[in-house]
Amino acid sequence: MEIEKRALVIIPAFNEEGSLERVVRGVNTHLPQAHVLVVNDGSTDRTSEKAKASGATVLDLPFNLGIGGAMQAGYRYAYEKAYDIAIQVDADGQHDPEEIRKLLAALEVQKVDVAIGSRFIESSEYKGSIMRRIGIAIFSGVISTIVRQKITDPTSGFRASNRRAIQLFASNYPQDYPEPEVLILLHQCHLKMGEVPVGMSKRYFGESSITKIRSVYYMVKVLLAIFVDCFKKPPLLE
Amino acid sequence: MLIKVQIIVGVISLILLFVTFELIRKKRLREEYAILWLFTGVVVLLFSLWPEFFLSQFFVKITGIFYLSAVVLIAFSFLLLIVLHFSVVISKLTSQQKDLAQRYALLELELNKLKRRDPAPSNIPS
Repeated sequence: MEIEKRALVIIPAFNEEGSLERVVRGVNTHLPQAHVLVVNDGSTDRTSEKAKASGATVLDLPFNLGIGGAMQAGYRYAYEKAYDIAIQVDADGQHDPEEIRKLLAALEVQKVDVAIGSRFIESSEYKGSIMRRIGIAIFSGVISTIVRQKITDPTSGFRASNRRAIQLFASNYPQDYPEPEVLILLHQCHLKMGEVPVGMSKRYFGESSITKIRSVYYMVKVLLAIFVDCFKKPPLLE
Repeated sequence: MLIKVQIIVGVISLILLFVTFELIRKKRLREEYAILWLFTGVVVLLFSLWPEFFLSQFFVKITGIFYLSAVVLIAFSFLLLIVLHFSVVISKLTSQQKDLAQRYALLELELNKLKRRDPAPSNIPS
């Protein structure tokens, strides 16, 4: 990666005081040249204070917008501050900051606009519940068909975007189920995406927002959202 | 029998019109929404004032529905439109509120940065 390129690591956080500091420190260690932006999505705990204490820039949303709204706020910041690359990392610690380099390398080597860290290209530590894995397999099949490209891990939130993608996300970002829906958006806007094998660890703290019982309901809703997305008018890119 | 239905429907529509009008007058309802409500009230009122038309062979022949069912059906259709209209408005408001929240957060961050750079603007004469 050239030195002139400015990179921003966006960490959306909603009540993640337990794991946030560790994530920010990890990013600082492995990617010292990058700036870190924590988007505090209306947390009710001390997430904002912890993030400030760890030295990150903190964007405090006045109330909870959900992951889509929080991520978009981060991309708006990246766009306005003219960053060349934005990397999104989960605050719960399931993404290893050491792997960010692989994403950045993929942007350069694969010549893509968005590089996606995938758990399923190579076997990793990650072992989700059976329901969740079935769900991801179905999403993977549906989305791969729509975007005409193999996507093994459509729900991965470990991604790096170049300037073109940042510009798109700053003005258009899906709100309901952003991770899989973004792929459709990218396809509609003719932006290129590529996957990179990464290892993901279990969350340090807390439960995934998707529990076993709700996973079927979640799947139906996401598939419906994807279906609707296919009929949406794609945004115009200048 | 018909006169009873006429009175009930007439009174309902008058109450609806009155309430809508009062809400607009007190600025508790935007005209945008009020138009649909007023229209609903007026149409229902017409039903009670001229039942002959809706009882006529002509109307029954082209629609296949009788008087009261017609009133209910028409009123229901308008309610459906109003609810749909609300969903559209709420969606728009949600999106605008999201944009505002993001802009507010970005501005606040910028403001705090400026404050830190120049913590005491003492050179400004009070």
